[in-house]
Amino acid sequence: MSAAKVKMRQKKLRNQPASVQCLSSSVHDEASTHPNGGGGDGPSGKDALSLRKKRSHQETGWVRGHQKSGEVYGDKMPQFITAGVFARARAAEVSAMLKAVTKTTGSCHVFGALPRHMRRRAMSHNTKRLPCRLREMANRMREKCLQGSVKKKEQAKNKSRKARRRHGNMLLEFNRRQRKNVWLETHIWHAKRFHMVKKWGYCLGDRPTLKCYRPSYRAMSTHCLLQDLSYYCCIELQGEEDKLLDCLSQLTSKEAGPTFAQRLCLSGQRQGSLVLYRAGQFPSQPLGSATFLWRPRTPGSVHRHLWTWVHPTLKQDVLAEFQSVCQCQAVVPPPVPLVIDAKVVSTTDWEPKPERKHTPGTKRKQSDKDAGGPLAKKILGDGTRSPDTPVTWKSSSTGILINDLTMEIVRYRLIGPQSHSVLTEALEAATDCDESIKSQPSCLWWPNHCKEESKMKLHQQQTDLFHTLKGVYSTAELPPGIVLGLTVDDPRLSIPPKRVKALSCVKEAQEVSDEKRKELSLRGVPEHCCESFLWEQSVRNNVTENKISEQDLNRMRSEVLVPGSRLNPVPLQGRVPILLVHQPGKQVGHEMNSWGAGWDLLLPKGWGMAFWIPLVYRDVRIGGLKMSLTHSQNKGVPHFPHDYPDCPAGAHFQGEQESELLEKFKRRPPAKRTNYIKHGCLAPFCCPWQQLAEEWDVIGSEGGIQAQSASLDDMATRVERTSHHQVPVTKQQTHFTVLRTRKSLRLLSSWCGPTSSQGQRSYRVREMPSLDHTAKKSFLASHGMSLVWVRLSVLLKGKPDLHAMVSVPTADDLKLLSRGGPGSSAPQEPPHRDHLKSTLKRGKKGTKKVASDTPSTSGQMTTTSNDPQLSCPASDVVLGVWPNPLPSVTSHCSRVTLGWVTQADFSLSAGCGEALGFVSVTGLVHTLISQPLEHRGTVLLRNPMSLQYRFAKINIEV
Amino acid sequence: MVRVKSRYLLCEINVTDRSSLLLLNDKAIAAAVKEVVARIHGDYGAAMCFLRFSVKYLNTQTGMVFLRFPKMSYKLLWSALPFITSIDTRWKKIPCFLNCLHVGGTIRTCQKFLIRYNTQQLHRMLPNCQNEEEKEKIRKAILSCSIIQGAFEDERDDNEDEP
Repeated sequence: MSAAKVKMRQKKLRNQPASVQCLSSSVHDEASTHPNGGGGDGPSGKDALSLRKKRSHQETGWVRGHQKSGEVYGDKMPQFITAGVFARARAAEVSAMLKAVTKTTGSCHVFGALPRHMRRRAMSHNTKRLPCRLREMANRMREKCLQGSVKKKEQAKNKSRKARRRHGNMLLEFNRRQRKNVWLETHIWHAKRFHMVKKWGYCLGDRPTLKCYRPSYRAMSTHCLLQDLSYYCCIELQGEEDKLLDCLSQLTSKEAGPTFAQRLCLSGQRQGSLVLYRAGQFPSQPLGSATFLWRPRTPGSVHRHLWTWVHPTLKQDVLAEFQSVCQCQAVVPPPVPLVIDAKVVSTTDWEPKPERKHTPGTKRKQSDKDAGGPLAKKILGDGTRSPDTPVTWKSSSTGILINDLTMEIVRYRLIGPQSHSVLTEALEAATDCDESIKSQPSCLWWPNHCKEESKMKLHQQQTDLFHTLKGVYSTAELPPGIVLGLTVDDPRLSIPPKRVKALSCVKEAQEVSDEKRKELSLRGVPEHCCESFLWEQSVRNNVTENKISEQDLNRMRSEVLVPGSRLNPVPLQGRVPILLVHQPGKQVGHEMNSWGAGWDLLLPKGWGMAFWIPLVYRDVRIGGLKMSLTHSQNKGVPHFPHDYPDCPAGAHFQGEQESELLEKFKRRPPAKRTNYIKHGCLAPFCCPWQQLAEEWDVIGSEGGIQAQSASLDDMATRVERTSHHQVPVTKQQTHFTVLRTRKSLRLLSSWCGPTSSQGQRSYRVREMPSLDHTAKKSFLASHGMSLVWVRLSVLLKGKPDLHAMVSVPTADDLKLLSRGGPGSSAPQEPPHRDHLKSTLKRGKKGTKKVASDTPSTSGQMTTTSNDPQLSCPASDVVLGVWPNPLPSVTSHCSRVTLGWVTQADFSLSAGCGEALGFVSVTGLVHTLISQPLEHRGTVLLRNPMSLQYRFAKINIEV
Repeated sequence: MVRVKSRYLLCEINVTDRSSLLLLNDKAIAAAVKEVVARIHGDYGAAMCFLRFSVKYLNTQTGMVFLRFPKMSYKLLWSALPFITSIDTRWKKIPCFLNCLHVGGTIRTCQKFLIRYNTQQLHRMLPNCQNEEEKEKIRKAILSCSIIQGAFEDERDDNEDEP
């Protein structure tokens, strides 16, 4: 019986009389001597009795059965009993019985004392249902029970719903809720329509509550899908170009693709993307992927601005790395809030000025000064950060300034071929302002701009370019990554009364600017047009400060003479600098080229909803995190952090995913769970990449000695042999890496055979060294411990799942494939035996004997026997999942494992199951070299929950 | 409601020598009952006795005992009780017989009956007293078990504060 049960029982039986017996000799002596001596010695005898009773109470409460303690019954029992003692015993018994009868047993409820027929429904709720005599006691008891909970409840509900829903109170409540996780500006909009998740310190929409997976895909491929990517963190670097490039070059490598110094990007015309590494650690310690954008050069100045956009999980690492590389340790304190003056800092005479950072706290102060303003102010930007968190760092030696612009800039992503037409329809280039306004000094930025001829000229050029966009047929036509700076009117002014689908109007625009359009799609945006005032901190702040509230705007609209007509002239505050950045579509592979291209819209903070609603009214679909995963999967680019297992953020993500999946697995009843052991799946929740790389490294080194015999079966036997003693052999602490060197990837890709998923042979553009043993040796010497990111498309049928295994087909399997026909089936894995279960059972029975020779699962299975974990304690074992440490991962199944799949789905663009995953480079090269030419790059895929293998084609797209 | 039903027998153990009553314990009584049932009713009866039989309460001072029998077979078991002539304790055989005073469906009814019975007994003892001292004591005892009800109310209040 558990302790709680005992306690419960004691409480229940505390009033019940215990048996009165002679228990121990001492009590007996005491009891017996006094009556003997006194003959009628009352009080002492009573004492003895009560003492005895007390003892029995203390010991057990309710004495039942034989008491072990009472052994020595003396012969000296009382010779006679007087009437007085006997009477007292009777009386004591009566009192004990009375107590037992009057007091209710069991629960403390008063109505327990009532007979059944007098009990009423909801008695504990309403004491008036009780008879009068019990009412008082019930009231007392009720108060005592509810004391704690009532207090709390009443506190929470002290405001009526109406009061709670009042605007000011609502804002207060929202601000309170924002303190823990950052809310994007579109949070409320999303929260009403999306399943929200708390991730990376943000509240993000995961997927819409509507069923719209396919419509969203269709929107991406034919129209436009909108996403809020404001959670991406922007880090600004300012300094001289040479110095910046010098510092940043440590973080990247030319081998892994273009760096910060890429010519087109450096001019500010294009956005670039790259993988960051820890300073000077190129192949080994990657941090993660980032996109970057240079501000175009200002003539006569070497001072540059650089924005680096990174994922929030990556931000702290990247920021620290930037600081160490640029030697920026001195914190520039966030300045005292200043009232924004009219002066707009011109771009030419840049000097490091104190930052004007507007934190929620300072905002509130400001509004207090204004007086009359509401106390609560909407939080813009990062609500979780305290006002005195440093956001700016400066280096004294290099003069570089690092600025953390997290949540300062809103970023929307439009994906799809029609995204440019959505933009051109939703946005309108800013209108000039009148002469009269120009002459007056103004605290707004736009009138000041209008005064300067050069700026207006630039604006005119940008506007022209923006208009040419209308004539473009598809977003994909444009050169990838182009940037266009622009100033637009407040888009709220041109919201259509109903949702209308924005479509490109090629025809009417064609006659107007055919030439211009061609130039745009060939050369992109000229350098000076990439300039935007969004880069200016002061302009950004000015725009954010002076935004017209929705309420005012509506009032102005209602005052218009013709209802529904456009506001004219446009209020001066409604000019917003924006930046349009083109996102390249699918650039790798041969089919679906430039699928998923789109535009990124960068806005100053505070304007998020003002742009969001007009965009939504152009009938775009809205996607969440899930859809961005699908997007990158179809696009064939690795998605951060899912596809970066060697980065700290990726490793962290994997851990999270594992615990999440395990939790989900454990939620099922044990009898309904998949037994992954029986399916021969070692790692259904988390892929042991390190172990895979190590094991293949060992196999590769052994293979080098034995050299030439390269049949698949031979390899299998080799794998088996190595797996037996692989545990002690691999002790080197080299961490696995993901292969990102372009040259090697290209080589590997050419070895893989045709790089199209459907198996058509493509043209070899360049002559690559063909795959032979010398090439293999030299290749593996440098990339022994690497993984490579591959794309797998299923050849016949089957839809791969998350963490499906990628295996090497044997020669027989390939024969099966070449025999062809629709009926030809892929091989099957023989079911494994769950020896763990039997061990557990044996353990339950009490025999601690550990199986020294568990029979291997099948003829091919050789490794599962005598594994160390058979003897592991059964405490944290989940049935159906292999406990740590895992046995040899490569040779666990009948087909040798190459790697695992990290993302898998039925690809709507390819029309077959597609998967993205990692395989060991060593394993891949060994496999390729041993396969006949016509089947090169064919592998087997097997889902964790099935025994059926499926043929798939491996592609490495560079 | 559905529950397992039992019968509780309130028996008085009658002995010739009252002092030997103090030697008894519940195990001995249970063994005696089982033995006599086995003797009278054979294996069938013994099996019945194994089912849900127990000695719930024993007061060696007064010789009261609560026996619990399954309701299904309590008559059979009860019929064997008069055949108990002696109870074996570890030291000696106590000649006695069981006198069944009350049969109840719950312990509570038995307890109520016992209260009534005991007070009655005390009242009966009073006229039979031989000297004043005893009389006084018995009077005291009678008073104590009637006044006691008020005292319990206080105690209940104390107890309520505990949990």
